[in-house]
Amino acid sequence: MLSALLIAVESSTRLLDPTRGFLASIVSPLYVVAESPYLLSDTVSDLVSTHAELLQRNQALQRQLLKLSQVTQQYVALRAENDHMRSLLGSQGRLPYEVLIAELVGIVPDPNTFQIIIDKGTDAGISIGQAVLDAQGLFGQVVEVGRFTSRVLLITDSDHAVPVRVNRNGVRSVAGGTGDMGSLELENVSISADIVEGDLIETSGLGGRFPPGYPVGVVTSVVVEATSAFAQVLVRPAALLDRSRHVLVIFAPAEAEIEEQQP
Amino acid sequence: MNPANGGWVILLSLIAAMMLGVLHLPDNWPGWLGWMRPNWLLLVVFFWVIELPHRSGLIAVWCLGVLVDVLYADPLGLNGFILAGTTYIAWRFFERLRMYSVLQQCGIVFLLVLSAELLRVYVLGLSSERPWGWSVMVTALTSMLMWPFVFLLLLRIRTGVRVE
Repeated sequence: MLSALLIAVESSTRLLDPTRGFLASIVSPLYVVAESPYLLSDTVSDLVSTHAELLQRNQALQRQLLKLSQVTQQYVALRAENDHMRSLLGSQGRLPYEVLIAELVGIVPDPNTFQIIIDKGTDAGISIGQAVLDAQGLFGQVVEVGRFTSRVLLITDSDHAVPVRVNRNGVRSVAGGTGDMGSLELENVSISADIVEGDLIETSGLGGRFPPGYPVGVVTSVVVEATSAFAQVLVRPAALLDRSRHVLVIFAPAEAEIEEQQP
Repeated sequence: MNPANGGWVILLSLIAAMMLGVLHLPDNWPGWLGWMRPNWLLLVVFFWVIELPHRSGLIAVWCLGVLVDVLYADPLGLNGFILAGTTYIAWRFFERLRMYSVLQQCGIVFLLVLSAELLRVYVLGLSSERPWGWSVMVTALTSMLMWPFVFLLLLRIRTGVRVE
């Protein structure tokens, strides 16, 4: 009886979120313990890597840093230009998003769903609905927060959808998860839409939950069937969903400012 | 489930079962192994109830189930119901179940896990559109195959530590 009541309440309202969060703080250590063999093996492999290997890695990172800082220099100039243009148009400049680096401490083992546990919770200021990125692109969103950990739903989960646009021409769509780690599907794309293989898909920021302009993935196939009014567009996620150990949690600027940004 | 009389053994075995439930496989192992995960916790709870029916409370088991819901990211109350149901059945028939051979117990475990999985699929279906299929059978089968091992291991621990 009580179970049925709880299930009913939870599936229809958000009343139980704090309770869940509280219980999550109690059981989350189990995730950390279950994950510890992997953390340990990482540490050990760091310890036993040779001097030459470390040097090599260091050099590779240096090169990468140099490349990235060159891109950043350009970015600063572009940003200034963009802000200037925006001020000419009379709209406000974009605010930078704050990010928080979090580490993966667990993976929800149910193969039906793609969720991970990260090591930051309400203590770090995280709340439900925040977007999560990794170094390559959009990762998912926070669906449950405990004190020290939170649960993140990945973009490829079959219950997940994110508003997107094509980087090349701004065609809007919604990218839904397929339940397969390697692909997303653009929903309700008309057969005449200008989307081709290789297009970069990025978040559009519509709906206000995900910040605009972050890469979601690359179109891998566009299938148009004569019998259907919609094209089937598959997208390979940019983020390394099954490999990244570190993710970034995005803190959006205040609500009013988000609305200003959207045309 | 009080700590006296080796209650900590029960507690430890439950925690171990929960941990086995969330332990994920190394990335380079084939993905289909993920579908074979037995319902460890149900096995352990089932064992303790038929062995020590006087020490298991429905409410305690239900609370454990709610914790497990949060752990497995299931809807709140689902595992509480499953575990409490298992406990009730095991507690109602513990005399008969104890007399059964391990093979017959395997059959019971299969049915219990199968109904638990079907219920789980149904409840998840209420709030989302997850596809489902033969995986419910697979979990029930692997749980059934693991039961003799879990049973013998826990029995040895129980007699070794003298949990009364």
